[in-house]
Parts: sequence; structure tokens; C-alpha cells
Amino acid sequence: MNKRPNILFINTDQHSWDALSAHGNPYLRTPNIDALHRNGISFRQSYCTDPVCAAARSSWATGLYTSETGVPFNGGHLHPELSDIGQVLNVGGYRAFHCGKWHVPGRNVRESFQTLYYGRRNIGAGGAAYYDSASTHAVADFLTNYDGADPFYLQIGYVDPHDVCEYLHNHEEKRIPNPVEQGIVSEDALPPLPENFDYDARETVLHRVCRRVDDALIHAAILKGIREWDELHWRYLRWNYYRFIEKVDAEIGRILALLRETSLHHKTLIIFSADHGEACGSHQMFQKFTLYEESIRVPFIMACLGDEIPVEKDRFDDTHFVSGVDVFPTVCDYAGIDVPEGLQGTSVRPLAEGRDVPWRDYAYIESNYWGRAIVTERYKYVTEYKPKAVEDFLPPGPDAAQFGLAQLFDRHDDPGETRNLAEDEAYDEVIKMCQDKLLAQEAGLHRQEMVHPNPRRIISNWGDRLRSYWRVMDRI
Amino acid sequence: MNDKSEHHWSFDYNYGAQNPQFTQELIGTLSEYNRGCYTDIDARDTRAGEAITHIYNILPNYWRGYAGGGAEASLSIGTVIVERSKQDGLWSYVVQYENTTSGEHLRMRFRCCDEHYRPLTERWRVDARNSGDDTYSELTCEGSLVEDSEVRLHINGTEVAAGTVDASAKLTCNWALFDVIPALSQTIRTSNDGIELTLLEDLEQLRPKSRLGFLASVQTPFPLEGYYVYGTGLLPSYWWLDVHGNIAIASTFFETLVLREKIGGIHE
Repeated sequence: MNKRPNILFINTDQHSWDALSAHGNPYLRTPNIDALHRNGISFRQSYCTDPVCAAARSSWATGLYTSETGVPFNGGHLHPELSDIGQVLNVGGYRAFHCGKWHVPGRNVRESFQTLYYGRRNIGAGGAAYYDSASTHAVADFLTNYDGADPFYLQIGYVDPHDVCEYLHNHEEKRIPNPVEQGIVSEDALPPLPENFDYDARETVLHRVCRRVDDALIHAAILKGIREWDELHWRYLRWNYYRFIEKVDAEIGRILALLRETSLHHKTLIIFSADHGEACGSHQMFQKFTLYEESIRVPFIMACLGDEIPVEKDRFDDTHFVSGVDVFPTVCDYAGIDVPEGLQGTSVRPLAEGRDVPWRDYAYIESNYWGRAIVTERYKYVTEYKPKAVEDFLPPGPDAAQFGLAQLFDRHDDPGETRNLAEDEAYDEVIKMCQDKLLAQEAGLHRQEMVHPNPRRIISNWGDRLRSYWRVMDRI
Repeated sequence: MNDKSEHHWSFDYNYGAQNPQFTQELIGTLSEYNRGCYTDIDARDTRAGEAITHIYNILPNYWRGYAGGGAEASLSIGTVIVERSKQDGLWSYVVQYENTTSGEHLRMRFRCCDEHYRPLTERWRVDARNSGDDTYSELTCEGSLVEDSEVRLHINGTEVAAGTVDASAKLTCNWALFDVIPALSQTIRTSNDGIELTLLEDLEQLRPKSRLGFLASVQTPFPLEGYYVYGTGLLPSYWWLDVHGNIAIASTFFETLVLREKIGGIHE
């Protein structure tokens, strides 16, 4: 029998780490993802590289951070010379398959993978209601016809719960009554407001300009549409979000059932994760694009439903920081294929097998080109780079002189991130420690100038807006 | 109501400078149906063996990449055909769902007992075809209810368990709601909490504890009565019943089905 396992990378979209019943969330039911946890290890300190689809997915595809990939925001374009995981696996003797959402601009998924299903009009950002069940059909067709001759790598990109974005878009141009006014869901059926519904307004300029101001750079129309939401609207957003997750959980359930019935489950490693999270009302915020936990922290489970692949079972790992850059080297490790030089990630396999190995003591996250975060066991440090006077389209860093505003949160005392400690002198040493980690991390990145005209145009426009905001700030 | 529109928010998906306009197309389609509608019956009154068919256009609730690029003559991204006939005391359904955005074409066949909530019975079958440019092109799924409680599916011949149904649950298919809602409309309206059903969505996904309730009545664009459906793993959908007893609009989260044509039934 071929010793190399099949590898199934199931990913959902916009799925926060705690939106699983296995993680103790009482407001939804995810029996199928929970089954992955029971048959594997769930890393609860898992972070995306960048809280937006294309950027985070570019890291999955390359094992690099987003300032290295050319996709440091949704409008980016993958640097053409970078190898992706499909190309590397194909060369290494694996059959690399893709199904569902890809969303890595600049790379044709059909050239790097054998695609089981990618939509009639190609799957873009959203559209789970159209695509996810067809993706399940495609994977079902694949599994029931798989000849077993060669090991496979199959990545399944489910779109849900990303459709919560369309739920929000629905409020752009019309007022929708809250569910109690509608008469369809009683108030006591709704989840409560999150404990961190309030927020400390001393956020970075980048965050304010992208997400808070009336003419926000990102989804201002939604922001305008929900300005007058009452508490029940926010709670109904959460209720809806959880239904989207239940929906995708059911799709995953069909795949797992077929794995078992085709007896492929013994020799198939399953990795489950999400590209980024969803604010879902925390900090009175929606969608992603922020460096708060709900937006950047994602599920990461490694499992085997059978017994041929050693993986810790029914275990939470709350210690090790896992990142989206780790997917590529982890897959290569199981596949027995050397990773390309220069990858930032590390194979999670030793941790999944319960081995004690040296590991990073923080997570590094980028956002919206200029935003940065360092998450340590105790603290979370968020900062931004000020836009350069003349944009050169080389993602910023490491450059302490260009740091803008900052947030610091004590993860033990304030897990909801509502008390910004950055201006408290008592934490100067902590901030210095976080900055050192950030600068050291960035010194090891291979940042490249973005050459594609579309992302350059967007960054140019965003930079202009940020500079004008900073001019006002500096006068104050 | 939509602040800017006279139409109910659940089927009003006009956005900005969209052309063609969603609501305009919805009303146009319904008007066309109304001009051809000279019946005043519901599906239960049909003669034995005669098929009644409703044909719906699928309009995308959102445009971003789902309705194709640029201005098009029609927003429609597909068709749903719901055909049923009563034979040997059972209702036989053939439902065809074709979506040009996903490329998915489902042909679903199932039978139901002759009761208002259309309990699913015997074996059912889904033939899926996909017109995308990728490897997946077709799949078959046959299902049955084993010992009145366990839903089992045979997907391309591989048997999988798809969940269990409580003995007291009323199991039906979501596509039978086109008849269940008209048949139970008065019951639903007089019930405070609506009624509970277990739905087998597309004959594959079990959605237990789905709730069916009354939403609202509207007079524009036509007199319609609205009902809602939601459940575990099921976003709310809104079903609008016309004065002829037909579901004229069914708006799920992502798409709106608009009645284009009805064939069959007793003509008065």
C-alpha cells in the first residue's frame, strides 16, 4: 500500500474560531466539524495571515505572508514567479485537486490543480447558496469514483459562512425590520449581544478610515445601511451567521460520511480551517478587515477519522500559535515533499502527533496593507504604518519610525479587547517587546513591490485618504 | 417595507443603477403569468393523474458575478419546474432546478402521501448534472426512509446515513412547500407559533425543526400573503401566495423564484 496519505484540506470562509459547538458556543450546532475535533486536535491559537479572503488564501497557496505574495488586500495580484501548493504537489508525485472557492487573484486555479468544480461562471468572493452544494456533489463524485492508485491532495473551498456578507449587503438600500418586528424569530431565540459590543475608540487611523468613518474605504454602503440598527438587528446578524455555519457544517458532514463509507477515512489526513473570521457585532463591527480577534482568529483542526495516521484525538491545543502560512509546509510534510525555499510557515505535524518541538511564541498578522498585529500568550499589539509620502508599492516594514497609532490588549484580563493599554506608560516595556517581535519578523520577510496596475491604483487611492486623515491628526 | 420602495423587502432586490431592474423584472414576469391565469384552484383539486406544473424564473438577489457580466436582456439565471400529479393515492413530484451560475441542474423525483404537509414516502432520486468546465459532470443520489426514522442515501451507489427523523416529525421535501403552504395557509395563519416540519432539502440535506409561519399580507405589486420558513441550517425564506392559491414568489436567501407559467389544473 502506498504509505503516503491522502490529504483533504477543507476550508470555510469567514469562520471565526469560536463559532463551533465543539469550542463551547451554545448558539449553533456543528456536529460534523465537532466530529473532526473528536478525531483530531484543535488548535485554538490559530490565526489567519490577513483577515480578508484573497490575502489569506494567497498565504495558504504559497506559505508566505501577504506582504510577500503580492496580495496584501483583496485587490492584490499574486506575484507570478511564486510557486503554489498545487504546482509543488504535482511535481512531487501527488495528484492535486481543487474544488470550490479559490480566490487567489493572478493565479489560474485550473493551471495549478485538476479542478473538480469551480462554478459555471467561476466562483468569486461569495455565493455559497449557489456553489457549496455543487461543490459537495463534485467531491462526492470524486470520492465515489477514486481509484486509489495515487495519493491525492484535495482542497475544498466552501463559501459559507461568507454569505453573511450578502446578508449585510441586503441592508444597503432598504430598511429591513428586526426579526421581532418581522414576527419570525422571538427575542429569546436570538444570541445576546457580544460582551465586547462596545469598543475603545482609540483605534488606528487605518482602522478608522477603512471601517469607521461615514465614507469608509471598505463597504461604506453597508456601514450607512446599518447605522440605525437596534440591538435586535445586531443579535439577528449573529443568529443568521450561525445558520450559515450550520449550513456549511452539513455539507462537510456529507463529505465525512462518504469518506467513511468509501473506507478512505483511514488513510486520509483532514485539515480544517478558515481564511479569516467575522466580527459579528463585536466592537459594533461587521465582516472582517480588522485586527480584532473575531476577525483574525480561525479554527484549525487536524484529524483522521480512521487509525492509520497518527493524530492526537479529542484534544485542544491552547498553547501553540498556528498561522495560515503553516498549511503549505504541513501538507508537504505529510506528502513527503520538500518545501520550496523561503517559506515562512512551519509544519504543524509534530504538534498534531503530540511531539514537543520548538515553536514560535507569537502570531504575526497583516491587514489592509499597512496594518500589523503581534499576538503573544498574554498581549495583543496592533499598529499601523503611516503611508509613505510617495507610495512606492513596496509593502511597508520593518520601520519603527513609521509606526502610527497602536492598541495593546491584555488577553488574560481583557479577552474582548475593549481596554486599549497602549497609552499607559506601565506597558511601555510590553509594547517594546511586541515591537521587537514585529520588527524581527518583518526583517525576515521577502517583501516585493507590487507591479500589477490594479492593486497599485487601489493602494494609491487608499494612501491619499490616509495621508489626508493623518494631516488632520497631526494638526490636532 | 423598504423605505425607498413600495414593495416588500423580502423580494425587493433593486440596487443602484442596476439594469434590468430586479423589481421591474419580477413584476413583469408575474404580470405575464397573471394574464394567462384563468384558474382559481389549488393543487389538491386536480383530477386524478393530471399533472399540474408551475414554472418559475430564478432571479439572483445579488448581482456581483452571479448574474453574468454587463447589462443583459433578462436577470434570470435559470428555471425551476415543479410538476406533480396524483396517482394511486400518492403525489408524484418531478422538480427540475437549473441554475446557469452554478451550472447545476437537478432533477428530483419523489412521492408524497396525500396529506396537507405532503409526507415523503417510498424512494426518491436526484439526478444532478453540471455544465461547468471541470471534472464533475453528473451524480446520482437515491434515498429512502428506513424504519420510518433514518434517512439513507445512495450517492453514486455508495450508501451513507443522512440523519434521523423523530417519530413525531413531519418529514417533507422543501420543493413540496409549493403545495404545503397553500394547503396549510389557514392553519398557519391561525397558529401563534406556526407549524414545525422536518425538511429534506433537495432530497439530500435534513433540516429538522423547520418552522413555517405567517409573515404579512401585501397589496403591491399584487395581493399576496407571505409566509416564512427557517430552521437549523436553514436561512429564512419567504413564500408569497397569490389569490389563486399559487406560490407566486419564493425568495430564499440568495435567489427569488418568480412564477412565470402554470400548466394544468381544473380550468374554471
